[in-house]
Amino acid sequence: MHDNIVKIGLGQIITRLGDVEGNKKRIIEALERGKENKVDIVVFPELSTLGFGSGDIYLDKVDENLKALDEIVKKTEELDLWSIVGFVDKDDLGFFYNAAALIGKGKIVGKYYKTQLVNYRLFDEKRYFKPGCCLPTFETPFGKIGILICEDVWFPEPSRAMTFRGASLLVVLSASPYDRGKSEVWEDYLKVRVYDNILPVVFINQAGVQDGVTYWGGSMIINAEAKIVTRAKLLEPDFVVGEIDLEESLKLRRRDIRIREVRGEILEDLLKAFEEMKK
Amino acid sequence: MKIELYLKEKELSLYEKIIVNSIKVRVEKIEARGGVVALSGGIDSSLVAVLAHRALGDNLLCLIMPEKGVSPEEDTEHALKIVNKFNIKYKIIPINKAVEWFSKNFPEGEFKEQARRMAIANTKPRIRMILNYLYANAMGGIVIGTSNKTELLLGYGTKFGDMAADIYPIGDLYKTQVWQLAEHVGIPTEIIRKKPSAGLWKGQTDEEELGHTYYEIDRVLYALVELELSVRETSEFLGIDEEAVLDIYKRVISSEHKRKPPTITRLSKMCLDKDWRYPVERY
Repeated sequence: MHDNIVKIGLGQIITRLGDVEGNKKRIIEALERGKENKVDIVVFPELSTLGFGSGDIYLDKVDENLKALDEIVKKTEELDLWSIVGFVDKDDLGFFYNAAALIGKGKIVGKYYKTQLVNYRLFDEKRYFKPGCCLPTFETPFGKIGILICEDVWFPEPSRAMTFRGASLLVVLSASPYDRGKSEVWEDYLKVRVYDNILPVVFINQAGVQDGVTYWGGSMIINAEAKIVTRAKLLEPDFVVGEIDLEESLKLRRRDIRIREVRGEILEDLLKAFEEMKK
Repeated sequence: MKIELYLKEKELSLYEKIIVNSIKVRVEKIEARGGVVALSGGIDSSLVAVLAHRALGDNLLCLIMPEKGVSPEEDTEHALKIVNKFNIKYKIIPINKAVEWFSKNFPEGEFKEQARRMAIANTKPRIRMILNYLYANAMGGIVIGTSNKTELLLGYGTKFGDMAADIYPIGDLYKTQVWQLAEHVGIPTEIIRKKPSAGLWKGQTDEEELGHTYYEIDRVLYALVELELSVRETSEFLGIDEEAVLDIYKRVISSEHKRKPPTITRLSKMCLDKDWRYPVERY
């Protein structure tokens, strides 16, 4: 990183369902490519260690996935890298979470738990996971990062909260299955979040097919002006590097004063409206 | 809200890639040595054969299994045209003797003639299924099914016959989309243009048997399934007689059993078709 420019490696890997060892290997290989390319951070898709869509395997292999995460963490120390990895976490009460680990050179610096679990059509995340409750941002040498997992970005609130908490970059970990028109809709959603929050967004998706479900890849980096500056291949695994200027959004906010102008009483009324809707 | 059956050029290329990859990955995952496609010379099996060939190359075997005297000769010619054009390995195995055996050993008079005829007609795709698995087992491969979404929704296929397969690569494509993708991958025009037939008896055509054109059926199915409209809403939306929509809808709901594995009577907390959820491509 220099002059607020962060160099990001998009580890658009294929994950195999329940293949913790193989998935770990693919993550480590991508970290090594990141090192070769002198990136600051390598990001990986949702549930990278176990594979999104693993069904009841999530329950069987959670410990194995945590052990793999430990090895990935150690590798980042050796490679002197930052990373964000999707995995399954387990708490003291035995509850599981669709989680992301922010890893800083050999240490887990922060964890984020997906707040908007998906339970429609082919998705049944609530069968396995407890939703996260919190929308933190994390300090890094490149500024504050907000992490979102897939469906979280289809809602305006999580990224909004992270913006209020000072995020200068949002990273969206995803395992988005292909269906007709899906990649276009995703691109729209990501850009809307950029416009809403005047922030760059990094989107990292899985690639490849599992059990007839194709993950469409197409990971991208979108700058604070909603321009796609880096894009990975569709459908296939890929590793691409992109740069983002984290000062950019602050410059834009000098004249685009919408974040500053968000009104507390409007947010209070929004909450009231929400309570009314629930009644 | 609109009917969007028509696929754009960009989507056709994407669909082709996705389907080819899904065949390849399944074969690799189970460490199979290839696949078998029953090639009738019709549009569905021709398309699947070409896509499977792109995935598996010489590890694909097409079985051409005519019932001589019943299957139109033109179909076998078309099947040969496909294997020759795309350089696909194949075998021709007429099924007449097997059909005759079942027919001879299934006495007349015990059942109504119409029911008996239908049962024997359905035996034909089941004979082909046995041959598919005979070769697939021997070569250590999978059977690649040729059912499309229209057929699957209508239940227009023989259970454990042509519907018996390990994967359905075109099972999420409506018939009208199959025509488009077939054109996209270079299936000869005469195969695309001929009237679709299950080939169960001489002169049979799908549209005559179903009582509607595929154009009409696909529009109705799209409205019912993709747009999630009711029968009445579909009829109003498309300007099609409600009776016709209802007829198609009834076929969909009465054929659910064909789209599912056999129902297990649940006795434990871990009933295998209800409580147990594991992917097939499991590591």
